[in-house]
Amino acid sequence: MTDEEQSSADGLADRRGMNVHVYQPAEDSGLLAQAAVEYPVSGTVLEVGTGSGWVSQQVQEKTDARVVGTDINPHACRQARERGVEAARANLLTPFRDGSLDAVLFNPPYLPTDPDNEWDDWMEHALSGGKSGRELIDPFLDDVGRVLAPDGVVLLLVSSLTGFDAVVKRAESQGFTVETAVQESYPFETLTVLALSE
Amino acid sequence: MKESLMDIICCPMDKHDLDLEIDAQDDDEVLEGTLVCTECGERYPIEDGIPNLLPPDMRD
Repeated sequence: MTDEEQSSADGLADRRGMNVHVYQPAEDSGLLAQAAVEYPVSGTVLEVGTGSGWVSQQVQEKTDARVVGTDINPHACRQARERGVEAARANLLTPFRDGSLDAVLFNPPYLPTDPDNEWDDWMEHALSGGKSGRELIDPFLDDVGRVLAPDGVVLLLVSSLTGFDAVVKRAESQGFTVETAVQESYPFETLTVLALSE
Repeated sequence: MKESLMDIICCPMDKHDLDLEIDAQDDDEVLEGTLVCTECGERYPIEDGIPNLLPPDMRD
């Protein structure tokens, strides 16, 4: 699809109230926003993979934090900005300075996906965590300690579908203390927001 | 982007500082411009208020 066709498809999707390219807020988004507001986060807060920008907007409105939302998907960045969220296009934490962030929020793509069935569009980027479900969570956990300010916190959403214990173990191996901030059970999965601190 | 974003961002490739070149601005928001790495010289475009901080090989 050319940029022009893409932009015309976006316009059509928007007019019909559909969002074919950008993950829209769901239970997991609600739980992450709740955890961030209750914690509460403050200072400079980054939401990685902000999607529609809804979580960042909630945190911006309900805390005194300054919030920045990033996404690899340009359509998501545009939607987040339209919500009044300061947006940047980025791959995980790569363009952030060492020790610059007081909190990092992440509702990662976490569905375990058979590589033969990957569908290669922006929605796959938003949902698929690769074969293990942790293909983005692992590199995130390996780098997030670098960008956190002293006393900073990471709020990471984890699904039971993703391998809860494996995520906790990876975080602990990176030197984090892991606590459960909020947890909810749904028919097909249990969602937990983990609070990681150093 | 707001100019204050410069306090927390760096070059995604080598983590060095970025210089901000502004082409268009609206109040406190930079609408069009370029972020340039002070070390490797890589250029990251800012379009419609959104900086693209993806490394060049991931930019579509």
